[in-house]
Amino acid sequence: MLSYEPGATVAHRLDPRSKIGFQIGFAVAAFTVSTLAGLAGVYAVGLGCLLAARLSPVRALRAYWFVLVFLGFGPLFGGLTLGPPWFRVDGALTSLRGVARIVPLLFVSAAFVHSTPVRDTRAAIQHTVPGKLGQLLGIGVALTFRFVPVVRTDVGRIREAISARGGDERTLRDRASRIARLSLVRSLQRAGRLSVALRARCLAYNPTLPALSLSGLDYLVFALSIGLVLVSVLV
Amino acid sequence: MSERHESVELVPDTTVVYVAVSVLLAALTAVLAQLSLPVPGIPVPFSLQPFGVFFAGLLLGPVWGGFTLLLYIVTGLAGAPVFSGGGAGVAYFLGPTGGFLVGFLLAAVVIGAVVHRGIEPRSLTAVSTVTQALALAVGIVVVYAVGVPWFAVVSDISLTAAATAMAPFFPPDVLKAVLTLGAVAGGVEAFDQVR
Repeated sequence: MLSYEPGATVAHRLDPRSKIGFQIGFAVAAFTVSTLAGLAGVYAVGLGCLLAARLSPVRALRAYWFVLVFLGFGPLFGGLTLGPPWFRVDGALTSLRGVARIVPLLFVSAAFVHSTPVRDTRAAIQHTVPGKLGQLLGIGVALTFRFVPVVRTDVGRIREAISARGGDERTLRDRASRIARLSLVRSLQRAGRLSVALRARCLAYNPTLPALSLSGLDYLVFALSIGLVLVSVLV
Repeated sequence: MSERHESVELVPDTTVVYVAVSVLLAALTAVLAQLSLPVPGIPVPFSLQPFGVFFAGLLLGPVWGGFTLLLYIVTGLAGAPVFSGGGAGVAYFLGPTGGFLVGFLLAAVVIGAVVHRGIEPRSLTAVSTVTQALALAVGIVVVYAVGVPWFAVVSDISLTAAATAMAPFFPPDVLKAVLTLGAVAGGVEAFDQVR
């Protein structure tokens, strides 16, 4: 599982807004590239991002195993036919060229996740998304991030309790229903306590955010992002 | 000596309650996304993720149900490993299964709209089981209507091939919708207490 790790790399020093901008520019470039040379260039930039974050490609790919499994479905089902010859190589290759564009995106995304604390991304959201929606989204993301481990522990305890009572012997339908119902009730009880706590602390639309500032390097990354989009669209 | 005064704009109590429930349901969706029950003899894992989507739409209505899934997606985009398989980041969203994330968001909105027939969520005790079932059925259709073409485009395969690849996931999702009707009834009392 890939998550933020503190560090002093180039990627760590960048403002989250420039990194988000770069990901968008890079995604446009990756999806519009049509030549083999262009694809090689996209891979080179993707690997460069991993280098800038000091993250190994193997670790990045391992973190996205779920995406890779579904990427593998593409060439497999792209080649399958309903009659003889049952599998067409050209169909599989067409799909393979399509899914190959996603892998460098995984690299850039992994570099972002590895080098950006969620707190900074939350601040970037609240700075960028206007109005109360941006504020609520920022607050919500920060709270969701904190509550995922809590809910995971709750659901784990529910599963253990069901298992201790011989629940593993029950039908799939029964097990799934019990886990879903009990998890929902437990989560709603937590939501009740959270809302009381937030009201007691006078939750406001204008909280103190971590300071974000753009450096010269960030402007360079913004320029690179725009350059990527222009090159991919014009070439 | 100088003094600084800043006005504080408090979030209304009702909004605080809906934000708190949205946060917990987004966190529950994240946890259930990484939880699947093994089914002997069947290679497709029985993921519990759709429960979170169904609960959000049924209990919170179109606005806050949609906000719940928006929170879930943005938390994943921000780098928290909340997507299936512990995934995170923009690449996951733009990958072959990203359409299902968008489908989840739209499904929560549609389910909420069908059940609550307005922006403000009402108690589920006032909604018939048939209406809830219909809403979930429409929700599943929305998820696949977005997810399958997205998978086809990203993987560069035909829509038929994409539908064939995703077909094994459809019957379990229908079963999850049926189970949701029973499971959500247990949560209605807890939700009404929170409100």
